[in-house]
Amino acid sequence: MLPRYRRSLLISLAFLGGLAALDLILFPAGQVGVILLSGLYQGMLFFLVAAGLSIVFGLLDVLNMAQGSFFMLGAYLGFAVYGALPEGTPVTWRFLAALVAATVGGGLLGALVERSLIRPLYARPIFQIVLTLGLATVANEIVRAIYGPAGLIPITPPAALDTTISVLGGRFETYRLFIIGMGATLMALTLLLLHRTRLGIIIRAGVEDREMVEALGVPIGRVFTLTFALGCAIAALGGITAAPYIGAYPAMGDAFLLNAIIVVVLGGMSSFEGTAVASILVGLARASAEQVSLEYLGSPLLATVSILLIMILVLLVRPSGLFGSETS
Amino acid sequence: MSGPMADSRRRGLWSPGALLAGLALLAAPFLVAGFLGEGATFRMAAAAMICAEGYTPFVGAALGTWLLLGMAVLGARRVAGANGPLTALRNHGARLWILYLLLITPFLLAWATDSSACIRGKAFFWQSVFIETFILAILAASYNLMFGFSGVLSFGHAAFFGLGAYGVGLLMKHAGMDLVPAMVITIVASAVLGLMVSGIALRVHGLYFAIFTLAMAEILHLLAANRIFVDLTGAEDGFTFAVPDWINAASNRMTFYYLSLGLLILTFAVIYRLIYSPSGRVLAAVRDNEQRAQMLGFNTFTYKTLAIVLAGALGTMAGILRGLLNKGASPNVLGVGFTVDPLLMTIIGGTGTFDGPIVGAFLLRLAEQLLRDTVVSLGPWQVNIGERWALLLGVLFIASVLIFPKGIIGSLRFRSKLSASREDETM
Repeated sequence: MLPRYRRSLLISLAFLGGLAALDLILFPAGQVGVILLSGLYQGMLFFLVAAGLSIVFGLLDVLNMAQGSFFMLGAYLGFAVYGALPEGTPVTWRFLAALVAATVGGGLLGALVERSLIRPLYARPIFQIVLTLGLATVANEIVRAIYGPAGLIPITPPAALDTTISVLGGRFETYRLFIIGMGATLMALTLLLLHRTRLGIIIRAGVEDREMVEALGVPIGRVFTLTFALGCAIAALGGITAAPYIGAYPAMGDAFLLNAIIVVVLGGMSSFEGTAVASILVGLARASAEQVSLEYLGSPLLATVSILLIMILVLLVRPSGLFGSETS
Repeated sequence: MSGPMADSRRRGLWSPGALLAGLALLAAPFLVAGFLGEGATFRMAAAAMICAEGYTPFVGAALGTWLLLGMAVLGARRVAGANGPLTALRNHGARLWILYLLLITPFLLAWATDSSACIRGKAFFWQSVFIETFILAILAASYNLMFGFSGVLSFGHAAFFGLGAYGVGLLMKHAGMDLVPAMVITIVASAVLGLMVSGIALRVHGLYFAIFTLAMAEILHLLAANRIFVDLTGAEDGFTFAVPDWINAASNRMTFYYLSLGLLILTFAVIYRLIYSPSGRVLAAVRDNEQRAQMLGFNTFTYKTLAIVLAGALGTMAGILRGLLNKGASPNVLGVGFTVDPLLMTIIGGTGTFDGPIVGAFLLRLAEQLLRDTVVSLGPWQVNIGERWALLLGVLFIASVLIFPKGIIGSLRFRSKLSASREDETM
């Protein structure tokens, strides 16, 4: 794995180093710590949406424009379970129940969507994208119809996650650290799944050559459903993980979807490792650009625009992304 | 649709006689209203039509248009030979009927709602609904030129639409330009944007191109909504600008109605002309199999550029109309909605057909207006269609992709072709 990715990793590390150095020149040390941490936090949230996007695109060739909606649905599902548990339940249990419910619910919903809506369209890839676009509208509007457009009052996480700690002289919320931890854990678990389990090996083989895997007698249809469900489950878990901090509202998935697409393109459309690295890079770059932009322009405009411009540049210079293979 | 058939179609639309018939159709209501009114000049005719009381102009316009249509057809017969006008009418028969209906629609509306066509009221309001429909139809038709006829999937068509509204507005408000130069510069700017976009299409294909266009439109959207440029664009709230009186939709709405209808016809004609030209044939080849088209020696990039630039310019024209209609622009004209809506209209109406996107635009926009205050009870729930319109659209979107991907026009044509081939077999 390493030799193949050495160049990509070196480029990424150089980019990271440059970014950190720039921050250190521009801002005091305490602020840099907070910037880097909030960059990691953003990057992890992007990763949680982008992970599913990347695996599903790699294996199924479907760009799931509804991935952000699963993020949003996870948050709402978790909130519903959190609220439905009886009054006396300890907060920690309610919180854990919300996480589990969102993951399972997101996975089941994903499997259902793949079986009923995506499957009939494998022969018409463009219409698959168009369909997921419609699916995103439907999901957003259903949530809007049931819960109203305003969004929900955030749930309270366990007390230990509800304070701030000091980082190099700046203050940082523990909940955001929890999000970083959650993202890192899921990143490690997904990498393990892809590299150390039978399903993972089949998925990776399928990304390389779907027809060959099928010819070897693997029931590829079932693997497709599982993969799609897995991607949706990760996004839903990401949603409920983020929601206590950013709140739950119908359009919450849209902003993350755009960033996730950027991440997936930068990492190389079908490379999961690329997505993992690129999400951290994009998170850090965004956090730094946001700070610079706020400092000098008085508006966070630069953040999204600069990331979009970087993506366009990468698309032009190296369409296969940081970690993608040159061929294809 | 090849050989003599395609040939006769081309001649059908572009024979001088048919052109004459079209012009007569366009001019008839004005002329007749002019005779019935006070003045005889064109300007006075328009004014008389707008301001005359009662329904005499409606009856007059109907009779007069028929008279002129008949004369034009007869005249065309002499100009284009025996085959010309008949072919034109056979190929465009239904379209000419609908065009005729649309020409007298302002009067029909006044008659149906028993209100004046020129003073604020029901008919006046419905005219604006139709104007919006025409604008959306132009946008959808231009999207279809890329998506349906050339196979280029773009998620950033809103960039062109927004460029139209913002371009003409900013130039008129801040540069103090007149309407026409502002429009020309905006269209030129859209052509430049179209060239840039197609330059990128040279390097990135398919999905990557779609993502690129999404990013491009999003950048414009963010810039338009940003507070840094608040003095220029009004940031999130958008800005308003003054338009010349003759095109002011608040007073001269009828003029605006005919202007936008005329531009819709122009859009249709441009796309029709392009697709039935040799270049259009190559575009179809590029859509169906780009590599094969390259193998045959065509520089497919040139043809794609043609489609993208033309579709962009037409989309910008729709945007200009939208800006002039609202006398302002706000960031939502650059939002994803103005990419998704034309896509939906194209798919529902029929991808890669001439009438599909226009039918889709009419269906969706008019249905939205008609069902706005309808309440349906579904079991225990009272559902207000107007409030849940977006949900309904989404479901319709999914259903049309899954169940009838050819769209309304495509399905109808497929069925008639099917029955035709069956007849052939039985014979």
